[in-house]
Amino acid sequence: MIEDPQIEEEREEEESQPTLLFRIFHNQLITLILVLLVIVVFLGVTTRTFLTANNIFNVLRAFSWIAIAAFGQSMVIIGGGIDLSCGSNMAFCGIVAGAFLVAGYPVALAVLVALAVGAGIGFLNGFMVSRTYLPPFIATLGMMSIIRGFCYGLTSGWPVRGLPQSFLFLGQADIPFLTWKIPLPAIIMVAFAIFSFILLEKTKLGYHIYAVGGNEYAASLAGINCSRVKLVIFTLSGLFAGLGGILMTSRLGVAAPTAASGYELDVIAAAAIGGISLDGGEGSVWGALIGAALMQILRNALVLLGFPAYWQPSAIGAVIIGAVMIDQYRKRRI
Amino acid sequence: MKKRNNWLLIFVILTGMILLGGTVWAEKYTFAWIPKSLNNPVFELGSVGAFQKAKELTEQTPDEVEVLYVGSVASDAAEQARVVEDVIAKGVNGIAISCNDPTALIDVINKAVDAGIPVMCFDADSPESKRFTYLGVSNYDGGKAAAEILIRYMGEEGKVAILTGVPGALNLEERIRGFKDVVKDYPGIEIVTTVACYDDINQGVQVVEETMQAYPDLDGWFFVGIWPLFAERGSMPLWEEACSSGRCKTVAFDTLPEELQYLKEGLLVGLVGQKYWGWGYDSIQILYDYIVNKKEFPDWIDSGMDIVTIHNVDAMIEAWNTQDFTKPLPPPFPEEE
Repeated sequence: MIEDPQIEEEREEEESQPTLLFRIFHNQLITLILVLLVIVVFLGVTTRTFLTANNIFNVLRAFSWIAIAAFGQSMVIIGGGIDLSCGSNMAFCGIVAGAFLVAGYPVALAVLVALAVGAGIGFLNGFMVSRTYLPPFIATLGMMSIIRGFCYGLTSGWPVRGLPQSFLFLGQADIPFLTWKIPLPAIIMVAFAIFSFILLEKTKLGYHIYAVGGNEYAASLAGINCSRVKLVIFTLSGLFAGLGGILMTSRLGVAAPTAASGYELDVIAAAAIGGISLDGGEGSVWGALIGAALMQILRNALVLLGFPAYWQPSAIGAVIIGAVMIDQYRKRRI
Repeated sequence: MKKRNNWLLIFVILTGMILLGGTVWAEKYTFAWIPKSLNNPVFELGSVGAFQKAKELTEQTPDEVEVLYVGSVASDAAEQARVVEDVIAKGVNGIAISCNDPTALIDVINKAVDAGIPVMCFDADSPESKRFTYLGVSNYDGGKAAAEILIRYMGEEGKVAILTGVPGALNLEERIRGFKDVVKDYPGIEIVTTVACYDDINQGVQVVEETMQAYPDLDGWFFVGIWPLFAERGSMPLWEEACSSGRCKTVAFDTLPEELQYLKEGLLVGLVGQKYWGWGYDSIQILYDYIVNKKEFPDWIDSGMDIVTIHNVDAMIEAWNTQDFTKPLPPPFPEEE
């Protein structure tokens, strides 16, 4: 077997130089950050409001709950699944927290119960996928509908209102940092991004998630308990979606049963734009963060630029396709 | 022996007929009241009105009137058509329906009418079908009314933004058309942008704040629906500051309690609302009159709009608290009376 010496050389070069830069590039981040920078510079030049602190933090707050849900979603997708129930889960956890608060329970308890409910819904998803062998698409599609039904049923369609000020703090407060006032949800988002990053990249569980998503059969031969991994990632996805829902509820001060309708698609799109392959086994949580940021910046830009509202969905769709196309092109080139 | 049995049979039949005759005297009527969706609170209020009217009719007339409140959970024309078929199969005396789609419901409405069940529409019509009447409002006139309130408070010049829900929804587009038709007679008023929130509270809050940033000198807002106003104080700081200081005037559609509170606090200057409660209360009366009293109805019945300003907001709040919307509202602009 004759090998092309040039290929051999290149391979050696790659192997001998796993520089930080190369690894970041390999993690698909540079492309995304470049796209993001181009858009930000363009908006900074064309509008007088985009680069104001006020607007930046407004945008940060607006995509924080989508991003947090997207971190959980990323783990599920990397692990070879998909979680369609996250939008309903967001709405339901908001309603649970709201109902407990309205009944007079303390904020910490209400939030904890709601988070437990979110994680519980995720656990049920994981159980259906790993123990009853339902395809994740079907299990979470059914769950999406079941949870939405609970949202309507428990509220008879009326939003839960009159939430205490101490709860609204979570979503509305700004934390002073240097000269800025950073919205609390954005800080929570960054904290969870770091947590998810460590979990995925630095722990044995994270390694197992990639392995299960990459090739489940091989992973099970290697002695990985695949169904336990699935149980964990779906539970985490439920927990993260629940947290996102609670933050959104506290920012709006109202838990509407119709809230977050269709957000599962935004969350999945954030992960896909961020270079997380829907085939599983590939991608990073930072990609999901940037993906969520890209979509919200685009929505923000369309309003600031006075882009006709009627054409907005097309613009969002074009960006989703464009971003994933760039990513595919980059992958082929490597 | 046989002869006696026959007499017994005749006796039983006669008694049965007399009993039946008695029930014909005090007939029981079941009316299906079908909203666009069960997840929208305004229909919940409409159903309260429907049940209220049924109770009144049962008390005041020899008949017993019952309301069957059924519908699809979410707004969906196909699902709603299935509900109508179920109701036909179940057998009711009349149907009042708010159609998710004017065309998609034609077939089942005609099927019900052919089966001898009269159908009327409220809120959203299906004009091509065999329904006998439509109780609704002109959204176009509502939009015009909103523009007139805004101009009254804002003055004849300024920059105005419009917030809509799902672009292309017929009722919303009609309101915007009415609004624009009034505004175009005032060259000093400029509609700087139209933003959409896709019927989502979160996105509504977001685009309102973004618009306030893009146009800090905005003088007026027209919210074509309630969406961002479902959110609590503090979620739209820029808008709240501009409106509470009086720099910016906001007129919104609908008259739900959340909005009434905003209006009372001075953040809104006027509301234009449909009579949700009347959707139920009036449509059950219309069905009863049509079927029992054989009354004739025009093709279209205008249910009118409620105009709420600071002058009559208390009466509207009172009506919500008591769930009794039978009393007419005081005039919105008493200085003109």
